[in-house]
Amino acid sequence: MVKYGHDVYPGHVVTAAVEQRLDATFAALADPTRRAIVARLAAGDATVNELAEPFALSLPGISKHLKVLERSGLISRRRQAQFRPCHLERPALDAAVDWIEANRRLWSERFDKLDDHLRTLQAPSNGDPDD
Amino acid sequence: MTEHVLHFTRVFDAPRQLVFSCMTEPEHLTHFWGPIGTSAPVDQITVDARPGGAFRTVMINDADGSSYPTSARYLEVSAPERLSWIEDHSAMTVIATFTDLGDDRTQVDIEQSNVPAMLLDPAAQAGFLTSLDRFAAHLARLTRSER
Repeated sequence: MVKYGHDVYPGHVVTAAVEQRLDATFAALADPTRRAIVARLAAGDATVNELAEPFALSLPGISKHLKVLERSGLISRRRQAQFRPCHLERPALDAAVDWIEANRRLWSERFDKLDDHLRTLQAPSNGDPDD
Repeated sequence: MTEHVLHFTRVFDAPRQLVFSCMTEPEHLTHFWGPIGTSAPVDQITVDARPGGAFRTVMINDADGSSYPTSARYLEVSAPERLSWIEDHSAMTVIATFTDLGDDRTQVDIEQSNVPAMLLDPAAQAGFLTSLDRFAAHLARLTRSER
């Protein structure tokens, strides 16, 4: 079976839909404040007030960042309760981490093999016929 | 707008010209292009190393025979220091830079990005390289400790 997807890693082929979601995830994560918010939420749910505290940002400022994170699917907010705690959507974050990890692994394994190949090519006693 | 860029680097004990040849000749690529558990048959690799030229490979899964074709076009071919291509399907761009470290050692830097326009803006690119790299490392630590 032929699978089209981008050259991430066999067994980790990324479909167009996943790719689009990843784009939204990475765009959301491109901002340092939003990365800090995600890192904070990894430790547990938090209210907007709790999230605003470590940053020199107004509540509306934080809310803007939270909206971007929410639209990307990285966080969700409960409807009930006036505090509406923010919750990190681990699967969305995992997809981004997996994508990075799959690419890192692909190049790492390629480089390992290239290193071996270069050694074979340069070995004085055992000339590789394909050079 | 997407800006994700990943950066991978490795130093090889080989002269720069040889490392560059390995990245641009099917006879060499077949030895390392497919990661562990796969192979990249030499007769299914196309390299037309000039701007606009085709760069096609097929990775075959050794276990079940499934194949993963990829098709790209070269954007820049400057032997022996720079090589870049863009994948047809995803528009993902890869820039490979070869740095001669002396004593027949060569550093290869791979920058992988989804935004071809970033090729035109090295300053913007540099900022994302470092921040996303750090973020990837941070995320990896974060998820390991949480799982």
